Amino acid sequence: MQSLLFKLKRFLCFKAAVASFLIYLFIVPSGNAVEIVVNQSVPIREFSLNNIRAVFIMRQRFWPNGEQIQVFTLADQHPLHKSFSKNQLHMFPHQLRRVWDRIVFSGTGQAPVTLGNEQEMIDKIANTPYAIGYLSRDPDNEKIRLFVNQ
Amino acid sequence: MKRLDYLLINRFLVCCFGLLMPLQLQAQFWPEDIKVHGFLTQNFFHTSDNNVYGQSDDGVSPGLTEIGLNLSYQPFDRLTLSAQGLYRRAGKVDGGVVRLDYGVADLNLFNYQNGRLGIRGGRIKIPFGLYNETRDVAFTNPTIMLPQGIYFDRSRSLLVSADGGSLYADHRTEFGNFSFKFNLGMPLGDNEEIRSAILGPAAKGEFKASPAFATQLSYELNGGETVFAVSYMNLKLKYKPTANDFISAGNTMIRPLLFSAQYNGEKLGLTAEYQYRWNDYRGYTVTPDTQFVTESWYVQASYRFLSQLQGIVRYDTYSSDIDDRGGQRAVRNGLPNHIAYAKDWMVGIRWDITSSLMLRTEYHRVHGTAWLALADNPNQSTTKQDWDLYALQISYRF
Repeated sequence: MQSLLFKLKRFLCFKAAVASFLIYLFIVPSGNAVEIVVNQSVPIREFSLNNIRAVFIMRQRFWPNGEQIQVFTLADQHPLHKSFSKNQLHMFPHQLRRVWDRIVFSGTGQAPVTLGNEQEMIDKIANTPYAIGYLSRDPDNEKIRLFVNQ
Repeated sequence: MKRLDYLLINRFLVCCFGLLMPLQLQAQFWPEDIKVHGFLTQNFFHTSDNNVYGQSDDGVSPGLTEIGLNLSYQPFDRLTLSAQGLYRRAGKVDGGVVRLDYGVADLNLFNYQNGRLGIRGGRIKIPFGLYNETRDVAFTNPTIMLPQGIYFDRSRSLLVSADGGSLYADHRTEFGNFSFKFNLGMPLGDNEEIRSAILGPAAKGEFKASPAFATQLSYELNGGETVFAVSYMNLKLKYKPTANDFISAGNTMIRPLLFSAQYNGEKLGLTAEYQYRWNDYRGYTVTPDTQFVTESWYVQASYRFLSQLQGIVRYDTYSSDIDDRGGQRAVRNGLPNHIAYAKDWMVGIRWDITSSLMLRTEYHRVHGTAWLALADNPNQSTTKQDWDLYALQISYRF
């Protein structure tokens, strides 16, 4: 009986170790901060996950006031893009790529504009009305606003 | 002379690429609101027997080249104009010409918080299954050769694009997104491979398509992590006999129904498609009026070992007549029975060297010859039932 309890304890310990390892693997790296940002002209403050996804897969093309959404992204391999896809859209970069390639090469739409780095992203979001993109932190720029993903 | 044409066209396209790429980088010379994309793919094939894309048996055939360049421009918020030129050289089936692959005016009619509705007009890609709309763009395809049972290269002229109109609608819900397309149009010409597949190599008259419709309903969960789709087409072809033709003016109706399912995980990808196709041949003197069903399906699994390295395995099967899976009718017509079916096991590796350069290779073990192109294999009696296919592809896109 004693040894059975001991075994059970050891098993639970092992489980806890595995669980914390898994938490480390999946939770810690996904802690990379990424914020969805919009140009100050954007007429709303938040969107549901479903709508945000639709914006980035280029299905939802207009803000509620009828103005066209200007979508900006970084390259597929950019760490911030990876973290944005995973943590904000709950998608993988290769899923976004699949959707964009499909619309670009079948003549059914346009892909977002890909920018070179985060500084370019700040400049574009600040200077393009109705723009949406993402940054690693709040840029403290009066023309850029954080956007809430409900 | 023909060879020279290819070379000239190749050079012309390479020049276009050379000119456009720096333009794209230097936005001051190129209006920012005109989007340019393109691709260039070269494939190499070797087979143990039978030919694919040129003389691949006892050699290596570089016979499949695909080059595309597209432009997209939005003159108004709700209007997008896009066009793509495609150069394709495919063995003896396609000699290598530049075609307008699509040329579309897309008008977004109506938007609401959870969806949109629009129309497209012009030359439109045909939605059929998971891959047809971008079937010539290597980057969007899972393998060098798409599963031939469904994306039959011989029937591509009917499937590539059609001149006409399309209605599209998207609707998003909490439990997934629906999208619908209904296309009505005239499929593009040159149906020689289809003619020989249906009426045999001796038919010389024109095989002309009538306006056809294609429709697709798809359902996507989690931004495309899981995809389900149903596609249906209704194709009609009319044979116009030549003078003294031994084949009379007949009609062919082809109605494929295709079910697709796909899972796109972080590392694992699973895909399956099943096609059930009704065929109806009437009024041909060479064959009695006949109705039969063609069946094809495949299952495919891919795994991303590293973000740039993927392995893939697939089993693909095709029966041209489900009531004659063994090919007895072919035998009665003096042809080998294996032209009635094809079962294809394949494995492959894809390496995305950069996001715009990809290299991949694959091996197929094929049992049956149903999807071999007649232009590359003019004598069906000498084709072999069991054969190996090796392919290598390099593709660049921007």
